Amino acid sequence: MVNFTIDQIRALMDKVTNVRNMSVIAHVDHGKSTLTDSLVSKAGIISQARAGDARFMDTRQDEQDRGITIKSTAISLYFEMTEEDLPEIKQKTDGTGFVINLIDSPGHVDFSSEVTAALRVTDGALVVVDCVDGVCVQTETVLRQALGERIKPVVVINKVDRALLELQVTKEDLYTSFQRTIESVNVIIATYNDKTIGDVMVYPEQGTVAFASGLHGWAFTIRQFAVRYAKKFGVDRSKMMEKLWGENFFNPATKKWTTKSTDAAGKPLERAFNMFVLDPIFKLFDSIMNFKKDAAFKMLEKLDITLKNDEKEMEGKLLLKTVMKKFLPAGEALLEMIVIHLPSPVTAQKYRVENLYEGPQDDECARGIATCDPNGPLMLYVSKMVPTSDKGRFYAFGRVFSGTVRAGLKVRIQGPNFIPGTKTDLFVKSVQRIVLMMGRSVEPIEDCPAGNIVGLVGIDQFLLKSGTITTCETAHNLKVMKFSVSPVVQVAVECKNAADLPKLVEGLKRLSKSDPCVLCFTSESGEHIVAGSGELHLEICLKDLEEDHAQVPIRKSDPVVQYKETIQAESSVTALAKSPNKHNRIFMKAAPLGEELSLAIEAGKVGPRDEFKARARVLSDEFEWDNQEARKIWAFGPDANGANLMVDLTKGVAYLNEIKDSCVAAFQWATREGVFAEENMRGCRFNILDVVLHADAIHRGGGQIIPACRSAIYAAAYVAQPGLMEPVYLVEITCPETAMGGIYSVLNKRRGHTIGEEQRPGTPMYVVKAHLPIAESFGFTADLRQATGGQAFPQSVFDHWQLMNGVSNEDPKLIEKILSIRKRKGLKEEIPPLDRFLDRL
Amino acid sequence: MSNSLSGPSNFADDGSAVIARQIEVHHSKLASEAQDKINACSDIYEIERTVGAIKERGYKRIALQFPDDLLPDSGLVAQLIRDQTGSAVFILADTSYGSCCVDEVAAQHISADAIIHYGRSCQSPTSRLPVIYVFGKQPVDVQDCATVFDGFFAKDKAQKVILMYDVIYAHCVERLLSTLEGEKSYTNIIKSRVETESNLAYVLSSQDIPKAAGGCCQKKSESSCCDNKQACSTEPSSSSSCCQSGEKSGDLTCNSSTGGCAKATSTMQQAGAASTGTMTTEETPSSNKRRRFGRTYDLPEGDSIEDYAIFYIGDESPTLSNIMMTHSKCETYSYNPEKKQGRLESAQVNKALMRRYFLVQKAKDADVIGIAVGTLGVASYMTMIQHLKALIESKGKKAYTFVMGKLNVAKMANFMEIDCFVYVACPENTLIDSKEFYRPIVTPYELEIALSKSREWTGDYVTNFQELLPDDDKIGVDKIKISQAQLDAASDREDDDGSDVDSDEDERPHFSLVTGQFKQSKKYTTNKEDSKELSALIEGSKDLTLRDKNTSVATLMSSASGEYLQSRQFKGLEVKLGETPVELATEGRAGIARGYKTEDGYGGREKEKY
Repeated sequence: MVNFTIDQIRALMDKVTNVRNMSVIAHVDHGKSTLTDSLVSKAGIISQARAGDARFMDTRQDEQDRGITIKSTAISLYFEMTEEDLPEIKQKTDGTGFVINLIDSPGHVDFSSEVTAALRVTDGALVVVDCVDGVCVQTETVLRQALGERIKPVVVINKVDRALLELQVTKEDLYTSFQRTIESVNVIIATYNDKTIGDVMVYPEQGTVAFASGLHGWAFTIRQFAVRYAKKFGVDRSKMMEKLWGENFFNPATKKWTTKSTDAAGKPLERAFNMFVLDPIFKLFDSIMNFKKDAAFKMLEKLDITLKNDEKEMEGKLLLKTVMKKFLPAGEALLEMIVIHLPSPVTAQKYRVENLYEGPQDDECARGIATCDPNGPLMLYVSKMVPTSDKGRFYAFGRVFSGTVRAGLKVRIQGPNFIPGTKTDLFVKSVQRIVLMMGRSVEPIEDCPAGNIVGLVGIDQFLLKSGTITTCETAHNLKVMKFSVSPVVQVAVECKNAADLPKLVEGLKRLSKSDPCVLCFTSESGEHIVAGSGELHLEICLKDLEEDHAQVPIRKSDPVVQYKETIQAESSVTALAKSPNKHNRIFMKAAPLGEELSLAIEAGKVGPRDEFKARARVLSDEFEWDNQEARKIWAFGPDANGANLMVDLTKGVAYLNEIKDSCVAAFQWATREGVFAEENMRGCRFNILDVVLHADAIHRGGGQIIPACRSAIYAAAYVAQPGLMEPVYLVEITCPETAMGGIYSVLNKRRGHTIGEEQRPGTPMYVVKAHLPIAESFGFTADLRQATGGQAFPQSVFDHWQLMNGVSNEDPKLIEKILSIRKRKGLKEEIPPLDRFLDRL
Repeated sequence: MSNSLSGPSNFADDGSAVIARQIEVHHSKLASEAQDKINACSDIYEIERTVGAIKERGYKRIALQFPDDLLPDSGLVAQLIRDQTGSAVFILADTSYGSCCVDEVAAQHISADAIIHYGRSCQSPTSRLPVIYVFGKQPVDVQDCATVFDGFFAKDKAQKVILMYDVIYAHCVERLLSTLEGEKSYTNIIKSRVETESNLAYVLSSQDIPKAAGGCCQKKSESSCCDNKQACSTEPSSSSSCCQSGEKSGDLTCNSSTGGCAKATSTMQQAGAASTGTMTTEETPSSNKRRRFGRTYDLPEGDSIEDYAIFYIGDESPTLSNIMMTHSKCETYSYNPEKKQGRLESAQVNKALMRRYFLVQKAKDADVIGIAVGTLGVASYMTMIQHLKALIESKGKKAYTFVMGKLNVAKMANFMEIDCFVYVACPENTLIDSKEFYRPIVTPYELEIALSKSREWTGDYVTNFQELLPDDDKIGVDKIKISQAQLDAASDREDDDGSDVDSDEDERPHFSLVTGQFKQSKKYTTNKEDSKELSALIEGSKDLTLRDKNTSVATLMSSASGEYLQSRQFKGLEVKLGETPVELATEGRAGIARGYKTEDGYGGREKEKY
């Protein structure tokens, strides 16, 4: 560990070119936290007073108990490069000392939102991949997110010791396995790559891939070996690096490099990587694990590794660990890789700005961000809230993108709904204090310049989860984060003791602050709902709610999922609805929107804020809409941005624009509460075919139009083969072949269906991918463990909305489902009849 | 002439709905069906008691208020009363609010001295005129009712039960009580009482009985129940005036001699204490007397309402749901005398309450609140409206007041800029299921919870808005100023407290449980600090906005309606000066909306098309 005074740390923060903000991301159990721990123990900056604390990254008791990370945690590291290594850094530097702000993130899919929040404030990512498991579903998810945020990845292939000790692979096998893993990472990168950050694929020969054992605390990149051999062979380092990977072979007889795998005589040659890199490692492993200590010590001498006397007494794994740590210290290799290959804020913000900033790219805020200017207008994004020791208060954790934030500075706090030029979701307040977040502890500092990660005190009352902090009056928001998971699983909570209600409400507020993804609200039937991304996420949230946030005993209901109402065909007849005074008539037909367009709307590719001509072009080009119709979209709904559309197809109706507001209001209402189960609608397009209006404005006011339009929408949906959609998980299960039978029987019982199954190359493990309705997923993990004797581990992530079989008002199963939803919501337990909405001429 | 008559007036239907409307009439209820009309009528409509009361106080002009379904009998009743008293008798038409409320305004049109209210009543106290309630007696099979009662409570004869009932069954409760306490030997049954008269002292107090100032008949009948002599000596009127209370007092005396001694004495004390007091007895901790929507019951010292079960006699009605809402912690059983069925009602009440809780959350998020006036009769409704206005404005929100008679979806949806309505009405009408309404409609109590820091949702529920008023004396509009001052003082205090803790308490967004997001409250009061030069101009009027040279709205003076208009797509007809060619004026349409003269009857355009 490195001991610094706060002033020293502060001085380092000013040299922004020597700052690296990076997050560690990976699939669950691939060893992020262990790897991070080894970095922290090597280079963690802690003030003298705190030295000696262990297990920095898992700050919560339950994290340590469960052995998984739940919250992302930030820590600062310090690394000193040698002068001769500096030229390898292809960006501007300032001195040899580097500060690395590292955020360890959770790997479980349920906590993906934490990853998103971490990615936003960092510029680079260390992607950890298990060398045995390879690239898993969550690896892909987080990598995709990172690339979406324009974050440069470097890869570390972890748990190499497992391959050596447990699987006993040969060198060539190991090489192929590495290569395969790297390839699959590069495939993902290529798929989601954003051209503006350039080529971010990873290449071992460039040193952007490390091989490591977090558990044993060692790691290396090709560069490490290249440096060694470059001296020995007297060749240039970079040339050496290229030789040490790929189709490069060394013929010891001729002392010549070749790219052919056989020598002139046709005898197979050993791959350079195997010969120069893996060979020493294999030999060390072999000699130590097979108790050939003499051979081992001889090698150590060659490698310049000296052991202390007590260390010489060690045996087996312990000795191996000690030796490998000295041979290839993990901290060195990884930190070197991070410093050399990950961008500094100055480098990164240049290309990130257009992705980050909502406003015009040429205003002073955008310029400030692009140049990472500490003297520019303050632009700070708060990505999450971290609970303080003071109950109910939070640090606003975020990144300064421009300007300098200092204690006492009066800032504009812009929430996610802020609209430039208005006072909506805007507060002007002073920052009370600012702190550096270091694992469990915080250190107060005076100010913090652009490019650094910081915690703010005193503004948590004005932001729920995230927001933009600025000093510039014309500043737009930094873009709101988009999460890969959504809160689809809900439970209702109530306090056991009615008098505790205020505490529960306060607790819900704190809970929604403390987690980027959780949603707490009251249902129409008056129940308090906590919605999370999965069962585990909810479990943690409820535990936090009960123990920390509300501190009152609570009762919770069984988890339920949300459904969506949709239609499966065009309305069979034109729906007519009359206004209460019978003087106005609305003629409407509904038609399915199509899954692609629904997805595009949900992904924000087509939205209400788009310029209508551009939007019409997209709709006609990509979704086969009539261009004229596409220009007449009145509204998106529900909540003005959902995947339902109201389109005006009328011709020459007088006063039509007068009733537009009323119709839109009715449309928002109707799509929010669908006709059958009062669930949100999805994927419906409502075409207003004709409108007959009373000639007097007084008789076509909102009071007449809203009920009529709502009825028309309901009626149109009613006669359009209405259906119900349920959310579906993509489940990825890793298991040995013997457990497959158990998996299939559990999946079958739960309406799951398999979409793929493949063996992990080089391992006896199989990966089963399946779609599983979330409604059936409760208790799935436990069931699976039971059915497979604990050999199968599922990872589930919300995938899509799936249409359920049947028509809402005909299929008995669906009717039963709808009635049960209505019962839960405290509605009348009957499906409203059509003639309540459909009027006749 | 005939043309204009056939057309609709303001509301666009032709009135046929009213004529075609099916009114459910229980023939058994009507005296006009009976063989001996006059006797039946005197019995059901308690002619003797009303006549007695009228003669007693010498009312000269009397208004009779019947609900729609009793109107067929009104002529006969009026005739009987007129013949027996010689006073002028008027029959009022149905009210524009609820027929359970006494329509004082209509009665004042004929400058009546008193109102006789027939049929179901919500028992809301009135402010101006003396009222005699005649409920109309309906038969109850007391034996059957007692058997049903047995079915619920036979397990524990000492179970504490409060007997409540629909007013039309008031007459037989005494019989039921004696059956239960006698034959079935239940020991802890408490009967609630309903008023049969109200405000009678209004006239008397100013004339001859100075001691009973402000007292109400409920107190009198109580005291008369306990001790006839004492009651007579102070208020000779009450015991002699009404036959029912006389009959009641007899029964109760008999009861108290059998088992309720302690009860009677405690009532006595309270009645004595209360005789100097106020119109309604509040739930003070010392007194265990409860009064809710005209029903009074006394709990023995030390008992709390949670210990009691409620047995309600009557059909499903607003009264029952009211009782259940306000006594959500008690188990409620009901007995339907018509169907002769009993059932446990409590199951739904929690759901109903939770749904109201959601509405509270909605009200919390509202920035513009409409106060819909649902009564012109219930005492201190004006005070309540003022109180609500002050409350809403103290939170920086905008209040509008609406007087629109009975609520309906179409009417309410005309005000899209309102986020939430609060409905000031009598307890029985105040709970509106606003599911079909565009905006939620809450009760004054719910709005108080939503906006006032001093109240919190506890599961208790108050439907009677009078209980919300901070003032002790809730009668008299002239008291508004006092309560207003008090409220201001209170809010000032609150502010002071707030500033001690945290100066920006008020600006802070609140966590909305509707959306799960932070909600920033909009402030519609003018801020003294900003725009000093403008403040002189717009002093006192926040509904005006300034226009700049281009006559576009320059500043929105934190006006709710201005802001709403801004957000609308259609902002009225556009002025297109110089863009449209000049044309000669042509004759426009004439006539009324129902069918203009140029049109061929109903909706010209539709004709062409269909």
